[in-house]
Amino acid sequence: MNRIKLVATPAKRKETGCGECRSTCQSACKTSCTVGNQNCEKLEKEAKVNKSK
Amino acid sequence: MVHTFNIDGAYYLFDVESSSLHVCDALTSEVVKKLNGEEYNLTGADKTAVEEIEKEILELKEKGYLYSEKKEETPIKSDLVKALCLHICHDCNLSCKYCFAGKGKYKGKAEYMSFDVARLAVDFLIKNSGNRKILEMDFFGGEPLMNLDVVKKTVEYAKQEGKKAGKIFLFTLTTNGVLLDEETANWLNKEMENVVLSIDGRREVHDGVRKTVNGKGSYDVIIENIKRFVKMRGKKHYYVRGTFTNKNLDFGNDVLALTDMGLTEISLEPVVLDESDELYIGKDKLAGIREEYRRLSKVYLERKKKGERLFNFFHFNIDLEGGVCLKKRISACGAGNEYFSVTPFGDIFPCHQFASNPKYKMGTVFEGKINEEIRNEFKNANLFTKEKCKDCFAKYHCSGGCAANNINFNGDINKPYEITCEMMKARMECALHIYAEKLKEERE
Repeated sequence: MNRIKLVATPAKRKETGCGECRSTCQSACKTSCTVGNQNCEKLEKEAKVNKSK
Repeated sequence: MVHTFNIDGAYYLFDVESSSLHVCDALTSEVVKKLNGEEYNLTGADKTAVEEIEKEILELKEKGYLYSEKKEETPIKSDLVKALCLHICHDCNLSCKYCFAGKGKYKGKAEYMSFDVARLAVDFLIKNSGNRKILEMDFFGGEPLMNLDVVKKTVEYAKQEGKKAGKIFLFTLTTNGVLLDEETANWLNKEMENVVLSIDGRREVHDGVRKTVNGKGSYDVIIENIKRFVKMRGKKHYYVRGTFTNKNLDFGNDVLALTDMGLTEISLEPVVLDESDELYIGKDKLAGIREEYRRLSKVYLERKKKGERLFNFFHFNIDLEGGVCLKKRISACGAGNEYFSVTPFGDIFPCHQFASNPKYKMGTVFEGKINEEIRNEFKNANLFTKEKCKDCFAKYHCSGGCAANNINFNGDINKPYEITCEMMKARMECALHIYAEKLKEERE
């Protein structure tokens, strides 16, 4: 590709479907509903475990 | 659907359904606009170059990175409860001009939650949480530190009962900082997973709206408490949560003022008020706000490059390759379905924003039951039921907006409040720009 460069590869996104994600508004904002910056709790937990190994 | 935008000389293509982000040049951006059926300008464009671009677009389309198929998913429709916001007291030691909660009293009289009500709220949450392991409890007000004793007892009780039921509680407390002494800070640092601190930025901005009950500015009352707390907090989560109004549309300077004081985890939100209020942000201010977000993103990147102190701005965070599942993205915050607020009287509401509207009372912690008719209104509303969101590039990142704003301003949970929509879009373009620039830097 000469003209278009792919920055983000969404295919990497994992869909855990575990439902442990947090309710959004409580995190900080209290007046908006932003989910785009939320973490997946399961993946985050896994990452922590892997890091501690 | 492909959204085109450019910031600071960088051109982007954002494929909405796959969340793919691409950088391109100005000519490519115009070709995509043409394909989108939008206004475009290809005057004098080189025919061979345009053909080359069209070929690349086709290749990316085949790979699912451009003009990808619309996603199919069903929203979360569980009957479980995962989070409660406890209005630990309906009273406040400040008198902020823009307070949605009517100076903390929610259109009523000052009231403090008893431990009995808090205990029943904990029981209600555990009982209705099914097999969910992580439960969230948010201590909110008014000013919750005015009823700290009950907060402490509730935390102990929740931990004790949570242990028995195999649950982990994550606690958050939102405070204006007036009573945030060293002893309280120590306790909060030990028990709270997150602490939200209310401060608006520069002294003159803060003092203009966040008043003491005597009508004086509150900056001097809170600033040292907040700075000390953040220092003591170390690496644990906190957010400085400010509000901007039409009096400080240069709010980027407030973000920077907070950063320079060492308060680097920042969420600065636009005030949401009725049109008649002197602080109201109207549509005529949107273009300027968009530019201010862009200026802030530019400052962020410049500071990063120079190795200067950075800020973590809540709305500039985005994760295109990780983050939550699509199911969550279309279901939004969960208010009225898996997240509720509880008033000092034990009344249950969809969230804190509804607590002064008796129409939305959903039950009490004494009965432990939820009004299913109201719950269904919230449960059935999702990204796909909001007509206006269908063609919005930000839809999988904002989920169709705040239910309370939609109802309060448009009388319909499915009709997003246009002003916050526009701000969301402006912030998201900045977030994508920062995301791309960071990756570029890493790769270099």
